[in-house]
Amino acid sequence: MYIKDCFAISPQRTFDDQFEKGHVEIHEEKVYSAIEPNYAEFIPAGLLRRMGKAVRMGIGAAMPLLKRNGQPEGIIIGTANGGLENCIQFLNQIVEYDEGVLTPTHFVQSTPNALAGQLALMTENTGYNNTHINGSLAFENALLDADMYLENLDYPSTLLVGAVEEISEYNYNIDLLADRYKQERVSNDHLLASQTPGTVCGEGSTMFIIGNEKENSIAEIVDFEQINFLEIEKLNATLAAFLQKNQLSIDAIDLVLLGKNGDNRFDNWYETLENNLLKNNRIGYYKPYVGEYRTSSAFAVYYAVQLLNGKCKNDTLQPDEYSKSPKTVLLYNHFEGLRHSIILIKK
Amino acid sequence: MKPKVFVTGMGAVSAIGTNVAEHLHALRMGKSGIGKAKYFVSKYTESLLFGEVPFTNEELKIRNGVEEKVDFSRTTLLAIQAFREAVQDADLSAEQISNSRTGFISSSTVGGMCNTDELYSDANLSGEPSHYLRSYESSDHTLRILKLFQMKGLSDTINTACSSSANAIYLGARLIQSGRADRVIVGGTDSLAKYTVNGFNSLMILSDEACQPFDVNRKGLNLGEGAAYLVLESEAICKGKKRYAEVTGFGNSNDAFHPSATSEDARGPKLAIQRALKEAKLKPEDIDYINAHGTGTLNNDTTETHAFSQLFAEVPPYNSTKSYTGHTLAASGGLEAVFSILSLVNNELYPSLRCDNPIQEYASKPIAEFSKKKIRNVLSNSFGFGGNCTSLIFSACI
Amino acid sequence: MTKEEVTLEFKTHLIQYLNLLDVSVDQIKDDEPLFGGDLGLDSIDSVELIVLLDREYGIKIKNPADGRQILVDVNTIVDYIEANRTK
Repeated sequence: MYIKDCFAISPQRTFDDQFEKGHVEIHEEKVYSAIEPNYAEFIPAGLLRRMGKAVRMGIGAAMPLLKRNGQPEGIIIGTANGGLENCIQFLNQIVEYDEGVLTPTHFVQSTPNALAGQLALMTENTGYNNTHINGSLAFENALLDADMYLENLDYPSTLLVGAVEEISEYNYNIDLLADRYKQERVSNDHLLASQTPGTVCGEGSTMFIIGNEKENSIAEIVDFEQINFLEIEKLNATLAAFLQKNQLSIDAIDLVLLGKNGDNRFDNWYETLENNLLKNNRIGYYKPYVGEYRTSSAFAVYYAVQLLNGKCKNDTLQPDEYSKSPKTVLLYNHFEGLRHSIILIKK
Repeated sequence: MKPKVFVTGMGAVSAIGTNVAEHLHALRMGKSGIGKAKYFVSKYTESLLFGEVPFTNEELKIRNGVEEKVDFSRTTLLAIQAFREAVQDADLSAEQISNSRTGFISSSTVGGMCNTDELYSDANLSGEPSHYLRSYESSDHTLRILKLFQMKGLSDTINTACSSSANAIYLGARLIQSGRADRVIVGGTDSLAKYTVNGFNSLMILSDEACQPFDVNRKGLNLGEGAAYLVLESEAICKGKKRYAEVTGFGNSNDAFHPSATSEDARGPKLAIQRALKEAKLKPEDIDYINAHGTGTLNNDTTETHAFSQLFAEVPPYNSTKSYTGHTLAASGGLEAVFSILSLVNNELYPSLRCDNPIQEYASKPIAEFSKKKIRNVLSNSFGFGGNCTSLIFSACI
Repeated sequence: MTKEEVTLEFKTHLIQYLNLLDVSVDQIKDDEPLFGGDLGLDSIDSVELIVLLDREYGIKIKNPADGRQILVDVNTIVDYIEANRTK
């Protein structure tokens, strides 16, 4: 599969060229919120008024791509939670009005497939349309769906594939109670060094135009894998086997991007790789840019694409300087040691 | 050559049965499961009717040997019930279920939100965290099942509202056809929840009487709950096993018209049906029976029959089995796949209940009474919010 | 309350309930059709308006079909409010 184009709305200045130029936003609040563009340019006020943040960011990231690349054959979205803020607004209404007369907009907008539906509606796209909600593998599932769709075609075609997650009181509070977030404030430039339990909540939407033709592509998704319930002792071997399947040795990988998130209870998964299989590799981390959210691996892919194309150099958040653009990037992420994802991308 | 995909096991739980055999009996008897809710707690149990599964959560836990799981939501419990029946029906060993070439694709719209009060309390940080704290996500039940059965293969959870489990079936078939899995268990689950009752009620599409799909006087839908799973296997690995049906066609589209209503010309439904027919290499006249989406809302039933009249020179017999179970949301695609296959395997047509005055605009009318008919190909429709339309075709095994 | 005051109050509620981001009270004409006009309201908005009438004015419209008769333009709605409000 080939990436033709991509766009992200995130806690970094990804909606213009500042992030590409190496400018890094430092976040010091208890959550890392997305920096949103002015949506009026591509979302009519009549529709924008109804949209929760997740849908807004999703459309905001997709529309520039659709403008630049024309109508894709289908739309596939991965989102673990969808429009959660709308969800809690509706939920609060249920309780506050004791199941009385309620307004439907929040309900309709809270459904996770509202984004895929809205995108289809706005662009009159009657093609294939699906929404995957499989937690931290939702984006990887969207990629798999796209892969199976495209490989069946005997003509060139593209799909819009992407992910979104928003911060809302709802997911923040619930994840906070479930001990997923840090009690103290940690700025993103100190996230990975924090040595305390929990991580910091982030958000964003990342969209790709993915096609089955190499021409005019900016990166290739070579392979990807999802694993549930892996044992930590098997992690190094699992990654090595993945590379072997793709006829690559670990030395052939120019850069490994890891989903380390500063949670000292789970970062050991990444450390076991850094101390073993990856001990001679250049390593980068993407969660300091955007925080932790279920579909952050979409941002990881976006970031990898930027690096493969000579962008995002000289940025101060990475441990090693990027004097040379990588040609092959391996991504590994996990969520609480339960769901694991490996993605291989090259120029 | 793409491998053929067969259905070798089925499991189902809904208002009309706790297993597939009970569902078959209810369909044959024309027995609806819609009525007053006994266990579901909501202000609306006074005024509205539901398709409720007649067991408490405790009873479901006992039935499925998970009594100690305090954090399993009703959605998860229903899923486990149907899943266990499906894998047993397909005669799968523990090793086969946990094999890395066996996938699991489920779906749910409600997830753990059926615990609305706990959700409200946790989301607003009031009081002690509830048992269900980590169970609210719609993909939670998928993870629970993966864990219970030690499943190592590909997994996914889908939410496209009412077409969710139809899309799960579609995706599972493609996984097998593309060689990524030999076997995939596919389907979905949803339980009654204050969240959805209030949501649908706010859209004013619920009926205070038992729903009447395709009837001129229909007032809306009844919400139901349930779960259903199919075991799909590639032809190579199910030689010599009983096969209920072949999954021959699937098609998906987006209606691209409105967030919660179908376009007058039903372009989304028509495209989904046409794509399914193309995949199956069948013509409209090859379809012997349609299990319609048939929610009983003014909008769906008009647009769906319009689609039929446009695509079929002679509309095949069709019914809405939601007249038995209510609208089970994410589970509906899976449940209706089971019903479609029961019709196919038994060469029987089951009546669409309570359609006393069929919609007049088109010549075709829903099935009025039980009959026997040779059925070779069934079309099953599921159309969801957000314009998501999916059609599946099941064919008799040759 | 005078009719003008009720009209102003209703338009303020309308903007708030429907989240009409860049519309001011002066821009909403009293006799312009709400549906199919410049405001671009649709069926979900009609349900929102029914909720507005219930919450702000205590007026219950059970049947969406009845709603269509009343929710024509600001004038018809304000007349209906004045005749039927219980709050």
